[in-house]
Amino acid sequence: MIELHNFSYTYPHTVQAALNGLSLPLEKGRCVMVTGPSGAGKTTLCLAAAGILHHEYGGKKDGRVTIDGNDIATYASLSELAKTIGIVFDDAEAQMIFTTVEEEILSALEYRGLEAKVIEERLASIMAITYLTDLMNRSPHHLSGGQKQRVALAATLALGNDVLILDEPTSELDEHATRRIVDILTALKAQGKTILLIEHKYQHFREMVDTLVVLELGHISAMGSPDDVLLDERIRRIVVPDFSGIREMQPAGGAKTDESPVVVAVRHLSYAYGDTLALQDISLEIRAGEFVAIVGENGSGKTTLVKHFNRLLSPTNGDVIIKGKNTRTATITELARDVGLVFQNPDHMFFADTVKDEIEFGLKNLKIPDGGQIIDTALREVRLLHTKDLYPRWLSRGERQRLAIACVIAMSPSIIVLDEPTTGLDGNEARLVMEILKNLQNEGHTVIVITHNKEIAQHCADRIITMEKGSVLSDTQVRGV
Amino acid sequence: MAEILQYVHKDGFFHRLTPITKIVFIIVTSLMCIITTNLVFLAILVIALLVIAYLSQLHKEVLQQTKLILVMSVMFIIITLITMPNGATFGYLIPKGIPFIGGSFPLTQGALEIGLILTFRFIVLIFAFQIFLISTQPRDLVHTLEKMKMPIDYTLMFIIALRFIPTLQVEGMRIHEAQVARGYNPGSGFIGKIRSVAPIVVPLVSNALLRSNVLGLTIDMRGYRIGKRTRVRESTLQRRDYSVLFVMVVASCGYIVLFMKQII
Repeated sequence: MIELHNFSYTYPHTVQAALNGLSLPLEKGRCVMVTGPSGAGKTTLCLAAAGILHHEYGGKKDGRVTIDGNDIATYASLSELAKTIGIVFDDAEAQMIFTTVEEEILSALEYRGLEAKVIEERLASIMAITYLTDLMNRSPHHLSGGQKQRVALAATLALGNDVLILDEPTSELDEHATRRIVDILTALKAQGKTILLIEHKYQHFREMVDTLVVLELGHISAMGSPDDVLLDERIRRIVVPDFSGIREMQPAGGAKTDESPVVVAVRHLSYAYGDTLALQDISLEIRAGEFVAIVGENGSGKTTLVKHFNRLLSPTNGDVIIKGKNTRTATITELARDVGLVFQNPDHMFFADTVKDEIEFGLKNLKIPDGGQIIDTALREVRLLHTKDLYPRWLSRGERQRLAIACVIAMSPSIIVLDEPTTGLDGNEARLVMEILKNLQNEGHTVIVITHNKEIAQHCADRIITMEKGSVLSDTQVRGV
Repeated sequence: MAEILQYVHKDGFFHRLTPITKIVFIIVTSLMCIITTNLVFLAILVIALLVIAYLSQLHKEVLQQTKLILVMSVMFIIITLITMPNGATFGYLIPKGIPFIGGSFPLTQGALEIGLILTFRFIVLIFAFQIFLISTQPRDLVHTLEKMKMPIDYTLMFIIALRFIPTLQVEGMRIHEAQVARGYNPGSGFIGKIRSVAPIVVPLVSNALLRSNVLGLTIDMRGYRIGKRTRVRESTLQRRDYSVLFVMVVASCGYIVLFMKQII
């Protein structure tokens, strides 16, 4: 059993404690789920429980972390701790060291002092339970984000440790793939494994969670059986995203009507990556002021479709027309004035020294003068005005996501497209992002959101486009216009 | 996207050889091409490597490097022509008819020959290492080098450096897309490449540093550095390995004889 005793931790070169007086028992055979806003210290908690803070990081520590009563600091090295604890980090790509799936898992098995025959058996069974047998000879470059997360999990399971620490193992997974992970973990728990799970998807894991912990600003603000913890309305909003009523936030001006001009027209669009057909004969129209959700499983072509809206991709066949301009002939800069695209990972765009400079970059590109006013308005819109002079990468994940939105709305494109805008966010943060988007719609923008979160689609969007295997499966109006 | 120097899962002749045979193969090939200055012999080596690649079903992957090779070859030849004039002149980089600057940068036979030798050596090395790396699983390489008493940290460093080339390529592309979506237009050509440095490289390096931290922790937490390993799926020397090694020995002897007689 791992236990934190009044444990506090401050990272080197920082002032504020990342963890503050945490007491948390992780009992054998139990599943503890930790959730909370981004920047609350969830990942730091994982590192603390795995002994990584004690053995790899400097910084200031108070209190103790023990394994079966032994202080974690007294273990010889991380390799020694690795005999008991398996940890899966949130960056799946960084955990693919070898060049095929099978090799990755086999390598993890080889250093456990097992017999060759046992290794082969365990390799086969782990690939079977994680549904990786068909992918065994694939290289990491030919796996989706979700598949990589599964390989990282499988390689850690291969170690056969009693304690599993998982940092957001389903962040990039759709419904179906998340349920698979839930099944795998439920089976492991039944075998007596101890699981510390950092997650935002409580609804999926509710059956297997024994203790629910809500972490805020390095403190435990609630801990106990999920039913008790969720009685508190404030806590509940953090754990379980509630998007209800967002669609009904009435527009100030006139709503979109059937007479609104068509701003996005997709005509018989097909797109092939090499030999693989990613989009097949897609035709659709989106009118000014609509709030559209594009849903579908991983790999259904959602991102490929929206990348055509600002010509990051050009159609193999067919046409995409944005406000009357065919994307085949318009320049990317021209289209950037009309279409703002916010990618899933905000860290792919930040390079400036301050939040203000980061937003100004886009304005300069479009040669928009008098940026100061616009920057303030955009930051106010996403409620980040107080961070104006901070370094973008110091912000929490939720704040970085909102900054990415601010960067795009400052350029005032009439169409705003967002790819999975709520990944890695807690209930409050996710709702805040969706409210910001609803406000943008009310101000006259066309909002297009890619998501595999059905709740978002059902509660926020006016129209849901479902994609499957590169085609549009259904296209439904949620609200009569 | 062409993946540079990555293992490809296949069942060809080279895939079935043990890593030790393949290490001998690249050492012998590299030494041969570095020592010799005979263009005909270098050309024969290139052809031999292409034949080996074809027989091992690796020609597609090997030929993926053609563009890189062409660009580098032209650069090698131009640089040696300009910097190492030597022997008879057969022309000028800037034709004589042009006033003032005409007739500068004479093209000499000696320089052309050196340029071609460098180019062919480069092609041999690229092909040989490409054949080696695409047919050898990093795991096998780790084990072989471990047996040769190479510390595992160094081996892991080597395979990770190779493994993350495509990852950085993909990441660079995503960052580029994200910046382009913000109206960023660095322009094309050399100036554009320089201007695009900060918005692309800063996120790329920041993300890579974070990633290297996770990678290091993963290596520790998977216990790769404990050292005690169960031997599983070890490849032992087979008849085909002995055949290849025998061919290598004969080729080396022949090479030494020809070299002594100054034929190559």
